[in-house]
Amino acid sequence: MNIELPPLVALLFFPGGLFLLSAGTVYEWADRKLVARFQNRIGPRWFQPVADVVKLLAKEEIVPDGVNPVLFHGLPVVALVGTLTAALYVPMAGIAPSYSFTGDLIVTLYLLSLMTLSMGLAGANTLDRFSLIGATRALTQLFSYEAPFLMALLGPAIAAGSWQISQVDAYAQGHWWLVLTQPVGFLVALVGLMGKLELPPFDSPEAETEIVAGPMTEYSGRGWALFRIGRDVELLVGLTLMAAFYLGGLANPIEFVLKTGGLLLVTAALQSLFCRLRIDQTVGMWWRIGILLALAQLFLLVFMR
Amino acid sequence: MDTQQEPRKTFVVPIGPQHPALKEPGHFEITVDGEIVTAATVRLGYVHRGIEKGVEQQNWTQAMYMLERICGICSHVHATAYALGVEALAGVQAPPRAQAIRVLVAELERVHSHLLWLGVAAHEGGFDTLFMYSWRDREMIMDVLEGLTGNRVNYSCNVLGGVKFDVDDTQADAIRRAVDFLEPRTHHYLKVVTTDETLIGRTRNVGKMTSLEAETLGTVGPTARASGVPRDIRVDAPYAAYPDFPVKTITATAGDLEAKFVVRIQELFESYRVIREILDKLPAGDLAVRVKPRVPPGETVSRVEAPRGELFYFLKSAGGPNPDRVKVRTPSLCNWGSVLATAPGHKLADVPMLIAGIDPCFSCNDRLVTVRRRSTAETWTWARLRQYGIEYYR
Repeated sequence: MNIELPPLVALLFFPGGLFLLSAGTVYEWADRKLVARFQNRIGPRWFQPVADVVKLLAKEEIVPDGVNPVLFHGLPVVALVGTLTAALYVPMAGIAPSYSFTGDLIVTLYLLSLMTLSMGLAGANTLDRFSLIGATRALTQLFSYEAPFLMALLGPAIAAGSWQISQVDAYAQGHWWLVLTQPVGFLVALVGLMGKLELPPFDSPEAETEIVAGPMTEYSGRGWALFRIGRDVELLVGLTLMAAFYLGGLANPIEFVLKTGGLLLVTAALQSLFCRLRIDQTVGMWWRIGILLALAQLFLLVFMR
Repeated sequence: MDTQQEPRKTFVVPIGPQHPALKEPGHFEITVDGEIVTAATVRLGYVHRGIEKGVEQQNWTQAMYMLERICGICSHVHATAYALGVEALAGVQAPPRAQAIRVLVAELERVHSHLLWLGVAAHEGGFDTLFMYSWRDREMIMDVLEGLTGNRVNYSCNVLGGVKFDVDDTQADAIRRAVDFLEPRTHHYLKVVTTDETLIGRTRNVGKMTSLEAETLGTVGPTARASGVPRDIRVDAPYAAYPDFPVKTITATAGDLEAKFVVRIQELFESYRVIREILDKLPAGDLAVRVKPRVPPGETVSRVEAPRGELFYFLKSAGGPNPDRVKVRTPSLCNWGSVLATAPGHKLADVPMLIAGIDPCFSCNDRLVTVRRRSTAETWTWARLRQYGIEYYR
């Protein structure tokens, strides 16, 4: 579906800005609710993520001693801006991307990585020991999943012959679902997305029983709220990208809801199935298995073309 | 910590006194090199409540209710150990039916405690699904205990010389139903902890302790049994109705966290069997015999097997209406050494699981120790102890 929107509307209301923020909290709620139901719990009410964010925004933000205040206040903004910008290049809500140019896939992936990078830097910026360990883990994890994730998303791009998200989306709409033709890439990308979002079992950077909240330990109030919204938006963008590439593209809003919802169901199930991986196990898994699978598929695609 | 003199700066991760991994306050200083633990120390005593001193001002009956509140999870074993000790001092013996009911409640309590531990240990490893499921199933036992005694915790089942309530047929059926429900669930959990790849990755060969080390470190209970030390008071020195309803000692040889999971889960099956056996062959007779309010002078030692290991009571009577001295040694205190000794060399991520592995109970084991020389020997009064407790934190 292709709708022409005035640039200001596209940036501030739909499909960017307000829509992203509200849809992000809805997806966070759906994720939490699904995991809760899988774990035999009741789960939060539908407005809980919004209530959390509103409450956090209203609360005092404590700036700990020994931090660089510019970085401390700036990094949450950078993280949120990165994910919000990334959303403009994906077929959000099933309509064509607001902005599109050749090679925007690479830009989008970099923008999505800003989140983890900001979190790592935010953790390293404080003197807190939990934050420092969390930051080390977050960045270590970034280096392990990033390459396989990128390669897994290049699979559909190579098949479509373009590194422009809208064109890959159009290609996916016209062909078989790529999850059937490139199942390995789908798997790697899905697990990579979970690693990117630090969802269980890849939540060792913020393992609460070890290092409290990891890099986020010293964050409260506004900064923490911005990081949270940033992560919600990243979840939304990641699911959209996955659905557009591997689940036959996103032609209209109904397909968008169904396909991203289906993906969310799978990630929620994976979240509740496993015990948390230690950081060395995560790294080992990615570099021993993940990267090999992604490489194998990439070579196969390159030679088959 | 003084880092000035050391050539290489050490990085200490404090776990506690307030930390999401700890449900009770304790302080661990974990020295790490990257992710690898190089040293671990513990500091306890944040929840010392002065119960040992407090019971000296209660009469023999009141003391039991106070001692029962030492632990919120295994309250019944504390009351049982105390009641058995007082009965030995007074020279009476509770009737067989009372002894059987004591064992019945003790085993129900063990089931609830082990299921609770299973959930906590899984949570420390980030496996919240197992945590939620095991705690859901544990509610069956909590309901049974509530129906039986009126309370979910602190059952107050004992009186000096017997027990307070009888088990009728409806209650027996409710217990049987709960056990019938739990047994297949427990089989499932045993399958999960022995076959789930991610959980095994976190438990196998983690915190390995040979039986010699377990002996040397003085471990008790499931911690010792997981290392192949067959130490179980229910078998070694049967008390209450355990001579009539013998249990089998469950041991494992690996001594790692996985073995601790397996030992505790297999003990559940043993508990289910004993519970069913007691319900089938509950001896007839009275529920209690009379114990005089003044207990003859003497000293005695009373030992019972708590869910966490050997619980030790020393009781001294001066012939008065209240105890002269009550000394309690809880199993958690014996097991701390094993955590500190096994932690170095492991990853930081393993530490919460290692701590949880001994099923620690902080408030039970916190004690006040004063070292006094012969010349300055003095007895602390309750008021002085209380004042010290207030000033300690200043």
